[in-house]
This record gives sequence, structure tokens and C-alpha cells, in this order.
Amino acid sequence: MTAPTETQQLMSVRAGVLPGALEKAKAARDRRTYLLLLLPAILGLFATFLLPLGYMVKMSFDRGAPDGVIESAFTLDSYVRALSDPYYWQVIWNTFQMGIIVGVLCVLVSYPIALFLVRTRSRFRGLLMAVAVAPLLTSAIVRTYGWMVILGSNGLVNSSLHSMGLIDAPLKLTNNMTGVEIGLVEIFMPYAILTMVSGFGRLSSQLEEAAGSLGANGFQVFARITLPLSLPGVLASFLMVFVLTISTFVTPTLLGGGTVQVLATEIYDQTTGVLNWPFAAALSVILLALFGAIIAVYQRLTRKIGG
Amino acid sequence: MQQTLAVDEAPPFKPRRRIGRPAFGTLLFLLYIFLLAPLLIVFVIAFESNQYLSFPPQGFTLKWFEMLPSESIFVDGMKVTLVVAASVTVIVLAIGVPAALALDRYEFKGKGALHAFFLSPLLVPSIVLALGLVLILTPLGLTNTYEGIIIGHVAITFPFVVRTTLMSLTTADTSCEAAARILGAGAWTVFRRITLPLIRSGVIAGGIIAFIVSFDEAVISLFVAGSGLPTLPVQIFQYVSNSADAAVAALSVVLILISLGVVVVVERVMGLRKAL
Amino acid sequence: MTVLPQLAPLRKVNPVNSANTVGSSKLSIVDLTKRYAPGLEPAVDRLCMDVEEGHLVALLGPSGCGKTTTLRMVAGLMDPTAGSIVVDGKDITQTPVNKRGMGMVFQSYALFPHMDVAQNVAFGLQMRKVPSGEQAKRVNAALEMVKLAHLSKRKVRELSGGQQQRIALARALVVEPTLLLLDEPLSNLDAKLRETMRSEIRSIQQRTKATTLFVTHDQDEALDMADRIAVMNGGLIEQYDTPAMVYERPTTRFVADFIGQANFLTAQVLSENGQAADGERYYKVEVGGLGRYSAVGAPGLAGSSREIVIRPHRLRASLHPRPGDDAIAGTIERVSYTGDTIAFAVRVGDRRLLAQSMTSSADMPRTGDAAYLSWEAADAFLLPGHIRGSGT
Repeated sequence: MTAPTETQQLMSVRAGVLPGALEKAKAARDRRTYLLLLLPAILGLFATFLLPLGYMVKMSFDRGAPDGVIESAFTLDSYVRALSDPYYWQVIWNTFQMGIIVGVLCVLVSYPIALFLVRTRSRFRGLLMAVAVAPLLTSAIVRTYGWMVILGSNGLVNSSLHSMGLIDAPLKLTNNMTGVEIGLVEIFMPYAILTMVSGFGRLSSQLEEAAGSLGANGFQVFARITLPLSLPGVLASFLMVFVLTISTFVTPTLLGGGTVQVLATEIYDQTTGVLNWPFAAALSVILLALFGAIIAVYQRLTRKIGG
Repeated sequence: MQQTLAVDEAPPFKPRRRIGRPAFGTLLFLLYIFLLAPLLIVFVIAFESNQYLSFPPQGFTLKWFEMLPSESIFVDGMKVTLVVAASVTVIVLAIGVPAALALDRYEFKGKGALHAFFLSPLLVPSIVLALGLVLILTPLGLTNTYEGIIIGHVAITFPFVVRTTLMSLTTADTSCEAAARILGAGAWTVFRRITLPLIRSGVIAGGIIAFIVSFDEAVISLFVAGSGLPTLPVQIFQYVSNSADAAVAALSVVLILISLGVVVVVERVMGLRKAL
Repeated sequence: MTVLPQLAPLRKVNPVNSANTVGSSKLSIVDLTKRYAPGLEPAVDRLCMDVEEGHLVALLGPSGCGKTTTLRMVAGLMDPTAGSIVVDGKDITQTPVNKRGMGMVFQSYALFPHMDVAQNVAFGLQMRKVPSGEQAKRVNAALEMVKLAHLSKRKVRELSGGQQQRIALARALVVEPTLLLLDEPLSNLDAKLRETMRSEIRSIQQRTKATTLFVTHDQDEALDMADRIAVMNGGLIEQYDTPAMVYERPTTRFVADFIGQANFLTAQVLSENGQAADGERYYKVEVGGLGRYSAVGAPGLAGSSREIVIRPHRLRASLHPRPGDDAIAGTIERVSYTGDTIAFAVRVGDRRLLAQSMTSSADMPRTGDAAYLSWEAADAFLLPGHIRGSGT
């Protein structure tokens, strides 16, 4: 082969493909592939998630009659009723307050464990980590049942205190908000620990040792180094627990014994008892709004800390 | 006060640490006890001959466990729960693994938003979703059916599969796939022979977590099929609301042991912390 | 703009065929261009290159120079924006990756972790539907070639880095690839092992006569292993030539600077001063403020302004100038002893020059001494490109 012929051949080859054509063809092929891969998931979530939620929002504007009759309408009746009746204000307040109390307590009891798990070099670290988060995979009902046995009037706490002669009458620890809150603190601890451990990335024992070597005492090290660095993780896990708490249904029902009214239990009663679905839907939207509000506050807070 | 003269010596906070350590250790021990208390107590009552708990335990018995197979509500509930959890796992893996693959291996507009959308069911209270599901399933006649419960569990289990699969995909070396293609493998062969084996641990972990989340789920099942086709958690919920005898404790022990087995498997497959 | 390789044969260089002989090439890259997004500077810019059958060609350059992009386009892992890739006279630009029949070794080796060594090596043969009896034979032969036949049942993660790298090589070669592509294959190995693997890869490549494209940022690797080096910068080939030419006769300042250490002096070329070897000419040059010296370069440079390149080991630092030598007077700023060599940093006016010598001598200057730097005219090379707005 002589040089000119090959060059000519190459020239003709070059003329065959327009600049960018191959890339465009590849992009089109890729688009087809990923759309095909995503389609089942998008359809699946649309049908089982977006559609129910959308339908629920729509339902909240319908008119409901007490005997389960639903009139298609566009009315704010349910919202007006929920937000004008002092009883429902109390329910919303109960929900909010429960979220705050459980969130704060849960963070307090989880913090030492998370701090330990992040800092320890123990060979049992993996095991202790697994033990701390394993309860996540056990039924919340089972754990609530466990708390009912512990806190009940004949339960572990009361019978122990009684046999030690510390109390005469049993303490009232179930069928009220106290019991619900104790149970929820424990039930959400694994979430709080998990969130904090992930959020404590910037924390290192070297920083603390450095501060110590510069003359800071134990308290100063904690207040000036450990706490500020762990604050984002603490906030994130508070948010997590708050959100989980205000949406939980099983524990308030079982440990509250029908005496604790929060949004979740109210939604259930409206759905199954009173059969006022539009009103239940409106309460759900209010619950979602509470969610949105706290997440917005959280984002402002983290931005402030981050900045 | 620390003097600057002490600089050569060990850092001044070390001795204080030594005093603080046992106190901190005790605190940790108590917190772990608190965390595990309800599970431990369930074990104690399950084997306790006395109906009500008292310390020290009155005696050891297996009678509550022997009762279980004859309690038809528990047996039926277990069957419903297992069928639902198995079906949900298969469905969610079938739609979740391809979705994760698309999210990790392709670039497209709105990817971040789609990712957030896929994980968003974790952020919606299940009671709210449960209500919405009842609203759409009732006109379709799907309440109190297997299909209804399965549909109800798809959204809440889906994020776990996406998350664990994505985790494996990001850690898997993409040049393995490139190497296979250069060696002559087509797209499907690459997926079957290379990608899938590489992300096996994430897929298995996601499937197991999806199974256990469905297995333990009570609220959606209660709304969607509480009256006609109760799952085991719904049965326990209704049972516990009315009475609290120790048969439930025995059943709980069975459930805890199943979960514990799952924990061990997930921990071995990919590490529990990463999976959750 | 692609700089054409220097065609004139030069002294101290084995006479070899010119790099871009058209007609006998195994691989021809024509005007290959990759633009990641419209409006961005192209990662690879109208690159042209021919590779001869059986040659090992190194794509050498700093990170981001487009060498890996070029390799991935040749492999078919990435589509070019424009241009074509021709193998054995056939345009394969539109051929999908899995139909190109190439072999590639990745930086991470990319061994399949869920298969054992033999399964890894057999994968390409399975894809080609080679009968299993022959598969086993060829896998074994490939493993023998890399001296790892005894590890065929091992899991990949049980192997050391060097062993993984050999398995990757065996896996790529067992399919008798049209081209062997190596993407920084040695960068994950420690320094000692890297040296051993260099010679091993080179000898296997020469035995199998596999035409090879080799991406590296390590100039020693390229100089040691390659038949030809393409020095890349900013998506362009700065110089494409034999290792000796690239080192001794760089065409641009970038090449001189990237390959080894170099001293640069700006000079006014005064007049030709006679015939040098290989068609080059000696010149009298004036180095700004230092005096007149001798240098060597291509014909026709008289009257222009050029940069002189002198490698440090060609600069002699001594306490006394030798009569007849060109010499620059300076002050020793720093002497560093590295075992094999002694290096001098010498302050000359506002310049800092580097000199290197192999052994210490009585005449060796110490830090703070006034000293003389001298060189032979043939070691002071005038870069062919103009100083400003020239070359690339």
C-alpha cells in the first residue's frame, strides 16, 4: 500500500462520521437504557406512594358526614373544624410536645453511646455497634409490649419499688403520656445513635488530645471541642426522632391505653371509628405540615451552624 | 491550676480521664440496659410460669411456646405475614435494583431530585400513607386482600433496597465492567456475570431489610387489612390492646429470634450500620 | 496544532525509522477529537498518530493532558467527538467496545473479584465461544507466560499487587488482542516492584509482538519501555519520537521540561560555526548578560532568538575553568548528595542553574564557593521553536 491511497482512504472515512454524531447516538442509547431501568420504579412509587398521598390531599377538601358518606367537593370545612376546635389544638399541641420531649430525651441518652462508639478503639466496637442498632430490626410492637410489662402497675418497676418498700401505691407509668414517652425514647434510640455516629465524622480523639495537651481540662475539652463538633449530628438526630415520634401510632395507642390523644391516634379514630375520612385526611395534611415546618426550621439552623 | 512548668509531663487531662472512665463506663452500661430492657423482659416473661412478672422469677416453663401452634390467629397471621413479606421483597428488588443501577451508572438531568424522591417514603408518616392507601384501595376492592397489603408495603420498603444497592454500586470498581466489555461481553452478559455478583451484598442486604420491614409493619397492614386479613403484627397489636398474657411474650421471642437471625446475616453480608 | 516529529536523524541516536511512516501502521489515529461539553476546551484536539505493528508506544504527559481519554477512545469505552481510529486498515470508530477484540490492563487491574484466577483469564475466551478444552490450554499458557500457573485456583483478593497485575496482563493477552492497551498499569505498585514489572511487561510484549499503547505519567517508564513516546500536553501531541530523541532533542520547552530536568538559557543566535553531526550546525550564541558560548541546533537558526536546553548532568561544576571550555561563573548555593550523584544549585546572576556529577573529585566546589559551569557545544541544544508565540 502506498501512502497516498491510505491517506485518501482515511479522508473518506473521516467524511463518513459527522462531528458529535457518535456521542449523540450513544446519549440516545443511554437515555433509552436508563429510562427503561427507572420506569418500573417510577411507576411503582407513583401508584403506591404519590397516588395515595395525592388522593388523600384531595380527600381533605371533600365534605364528610359522620356515617362514612363522602361528598365530592372543594371545601375547607375539615381544616376549619380541626383548627377552630380547641380539642384539636390540644391534640396538635400534645403531638408537638411529645415530639420535643422524646426528641430531647432520646438525644440525651443516645449521645454518650454514640460518642463512645465513634471514639472507642475497642475490638468489641463492631459488636457494640450492632447491639445498639439491632433493636431497629425488631418489631416496635414487641418492644412496646415489653415496656407495658416493665411499666405496668404490676410491672417490673412498680413491683421492685414496692418490695423495697419505697412506694405504697403503684406509680402510674402506663396509660398516660409518661409511659408513651419512656417507650418512645427507647424505641427511637437506635435511630438517634445511628444518625449521630454518621454525623460525628469531624470528631476525632486527636483533636481532643490536642486540646488536652494545650492545657484544657476534661470539661473544657468537652465544651469547647467535642460538643461544638458534634452539634450537627445531635441536631440531625433530634430532627429524626422528632419526625418519627409525631408520626408514630402503635406506641401511643398501646402504652397510652386510649388516654393519649395525638394526631396519629386521632387519624386512626376518625378513619375506623367515626368514619369521617375527609377529616382524617385533613388531620394527615396538618401532620405533614408540622413535618415540613420542623424540617424548614432544621435547615435554617444547620445553615446557621454551617455558616 | 496548671502551670506552664508542667508542660514536659503527660498532658494534664489524662489523669482526670482515668477517674472519669469508670463513671462513663457505668453510664454506658446502664444506657445499654435501658436500650435492651424491653427485649430482655420479653424473654424473661416468655419462660416465666407465673402469668405476671415478679422478681425473682417464680419458675421456668415452656407452656407459652407450646400454646403457639394451636393459637390459630397467630398461625394464620404468620402465614399472611410471610406471604406478604416474601412477595414485597421480590417486587421491590425487581424495581429497586434497576433504579439504583440507573442512578449510579448514568448521568441525567434531575437525578438528584429522583434520588430524593426514591428515598422520600422514609419521611412520610406511615399512618398518613396508610390512610391514603385505604382511600385508593377501597374503590378497587383491594382492602383486606393480599394484593392490598403488598401494594401498601412497596413504598416503605423500596428506599432500603435503593440505598443498599447504591452503596454497593458506588464501592464496586466500574473498570471491572469496562474490562468485561473489552473482553467481548455484551450489556446483558456484563450485568449478569459482573455487575450483579459485584453488588450481591447490597442487593441481599436490601432484600433482607425489605423483608423484615414488611414483616414487622403494623400500621399500613392495620388500615388496609386489619379487619379481614390481619398480619401477625396486627394480630399482636390487637391482642396486646385487649389483654397481655404471656403467649404474646412467647410469640415475641419467636419474632425477636427471627429478627436476630436477620441482623446476623445483614451484619455479615455488608455491615448493619451501612445497610440501615 | 500538532507538532511534527523531528525527522532529521541525529547523532547519539540509533538510526530508526521515522515515527509516522504511513503504510505499515497497525493503528492510525486521525484527527481524533474529544470535547466533553460544547464550549469546553477539547480534552483531545485533532490528534494524529500512527503506531507500527509490534511497537510499544507510550502516551506520556501530566494529568489532564488527554492521554487517558485517547486510550479510552481507542478502546471504545468512550466515543470521540470527531476523527477516526483505524486498525489494520479498517475504520473501527463505530465498532462497539465488545467487538473490537482489544485487550486492556487497568490502573486498578479490574480483576473480577468473584472469580478465581483461571476464571478471570478464561473470561475473554468464553465470550469468544472458544471450546473448553482449548480454553484450558490457552489459559494455562497465558498463566505460564506470566509465571503464575500455580496460582490458577486462587481467589483474586488473595494475590499481591504484582501478581494481580500479571493476571490482568495474562487476561488481556490470552485473547490475542489486536491491540494491547495499558492504562497506568504500574502506578499502584511500590517502587522496587515497578522496576521489575517494567522489564517483565516489556519482555512479554516483545515476545508476543503485541502492538501496545501505554498510558503513563512517569517519564522513566516511558523512556525505559517504549519504542516511541508521544509526549502530550493540553490535548495535543507535543512530540512523537523515539525515547532517545525525545530526551536529547526535545522539540519544545514543554517536552524538555517534562522529561527529566533541564536548564534553559535564552540566547541570541549570532552565527553558524560549522557543521555538526547528523546535519546539525554549531552556532555562536550570546546569552543575555553572560557572554558568548557555543551551542548546537538545526540549520538556519542564525540571527534568531532561541532557548538553549542543557541537561544538568551535561553541566560540569568546577572550581577552576578548564582552558578552552565555555564556562559561566557563578556561586554554589547548595550541594545535595543523593548517593549516586552530587547535584549543585548554582546562582548565576538572577538565574539558578542545576549541575550534576557522578563522582566527587578534588575539584569539587562546596556551598558558597565561586565556581564555573562548563559544557560541550554538542550538549547545548537550541530548541527549534521560537521563544514567544511559537512551537505549540
